[in-house]
Amino acid sequence: MSYVKLVVQRYDPERDEKPRFQEYIVPYRKGMTVLDAILYARDYLDHSIGVRFSCRMASCGSCGMKINGKPALACYTQVSELGTERIVVQPMDNFPVIKDLATDFEEFFEKHKELMPYLVREDRAEQENPKSEYLMKPEELERILQFTYCIKCGLCYSVCPTVGTDKLFPGPQAIAQAYRYVEDVRDEGGETRLNILDNPHGIWRCHFAGSCSAVCPKGVDPALGIQLLRRYVMRGKAPRKKGEGSKPFTK
Amino acid sequence: MGDKIMTERKIMMIQYVTGILSVFLVSVHLLYQGVIVPYEKAISFSQVLSLYRHIFYGSMLEILLVVILVHGFNGLRIILLELNQSQDWSKAVDIITVIATVVTIAYGTRTVILAVFGGVS
Amino acid sequence: MEKGRERNRRGIRGWFDPTVPNNLERWAYFFQRLTGLGILAYVIGHIGDTSFFVGGPFGTGPNQSSWSFDLSITENVVGHLILIFVVLIVTFHGINGIRLILAELGIMVGKPSKIEYPYRPSSLRSVQRHIIWVAIVLAVLAAIWAGSILFG
Ligand code: SF4
Repeated sequence: MSYVKLVVQRYDPERDEKPRFQEYIVPYRKGMTVLDAILYARDYLDHSIGVRFSCRMASCGSCGMKINGKPALACYTQVSELGTERIVVQPMDNFPVIKDLATDFEEFFEKHKELMPYLVREDRAEQENPKSEYLMKPEELERILQFTYCIKCGLCYSVCPTVGTDKLFPGPQAIAQAYRYVEDVRDEGGETRLNILDNPHGIWRCHFAGSCSAVCPKGVDPALGIQLLRRYVMRGKAPRKKGEGSKPFTK
Repeated sequence: MGDKIMTERKIMMIQYVTGILSVFLVSVHLLYQGVIVPYEKAISFSQVLSLYRHIFYGSMLEILLVVILVHGFNGLRIILLELNQSQDWSKAVDIITVIATVVTIAYGTRTVILAVFGGVS
Repeated sequence: MEKGRERNRRGIRGWFDPTVPNNLERWAYFFQRLTGLGILAYVIGHIGDTSFFVGGPFGTGPNQSSWSFDLSITENVVGHLILIFVVLIVTFHGINGIRLILAELGIMVGKPSKIEYPYRPSSLRSVQRHIIWVAIVLAVLAAIWAGSILFG
């Protein structure tokens, strides 16, 4: 392969009636990622291509898109692994398009924020000025560790069939992160999160289609987190009440 | 959600329980009417009459009627709620599915009651 | 902005998505919905049809001629094909439904662990996925069995 035909979906909602496709011929080099190909096209062929990226190493979660119809991180997808010279790149579904491949994450982050993705402690004064670390056993860490790897790329959100129709459904990323904090032994905000999730557009609208876990580039397995969290919502009981979080370390 | 009579949690509990009961009762119904009693006989007037008038089978049919319709219409409600999130739509979906459930259960129950207590003609 | 926002939400088309790799659960999700709607339609029809046992909507009790009339409409090739199809979708929906109830309560979906590349999500590797195959196979067998009874 000496070149790739990069087909970019172009769409500026401010100006265009509907999306169109534009083709760019990009010279191929070994080890080239799809993001490299897009950046080549943007740098040397057409400065107007809209794309978001940052770390180029699957750590920032900025370059999620559909590559030949499949949702993936552009920086994490080798051109060679696609096995085709023609590469079609489109913005992720379920996110509003800002321009071309760049999508708007406002709603996504709002939903994440609503489920309080941080440690909640009854004793706020102590939490603000901790005198030592909160205790946590290795096996307790293991219960939440994989969920902490989430880079908020939104790929799971883009394939979720419920998000596709229900604007109020928090989506796999937000609920999996809610589980990550509810299960965290240092946290005491479980009950509040469970209450937020127990509504007609909440956690029950996940039907375990599992697509979130199938596309997650970081092995987070949001579907697992959601089902495990649902158990607590069904019981109507968080693993810890206020004041029952793990205690600060003392000698 | 405190102002609602039914939290979604309780509704889903009902959905799960009616689902499991339906699987069990539909299996019994199909196996009985297809395997234990030969199909030709199973749909004959006298056989159907004796089933309705059998205390266990008749009650089972009534329970099956209720659980399958509650499960089915709540399933429909879930699908419809996911399609549109306006307050009016949600309210309309809730009301219409409850009415549909009650009306179909009432109509099916009428069949059971008439089959058990009505005069044969 | 709102135009683009609406344009990109997938809507009902997203119910069916064969493009997601390694995702049998998505197929099961789609067919669970479809079969559920189909079964509900059948059940409503069946309640209407069995009411002819008591003379239909205006009947007063078990009525032999009304029941014979009902059977003359339902007991034919088309009616039997519909029944076989119903047995197929009922079996799938029932077994897959039990899988979903268990999975949604955190049973058979695996558990969180230290993960290593290449990532293989435990929820998509666990027992629950085998049950989808069990549902498919048993649904087909049940339909064949129903066919042998109705046409045999
Ligand atoms: S759970 Fe996975 S796919 Fe979803 S936002 Fe986090 S890293 Fe991306």
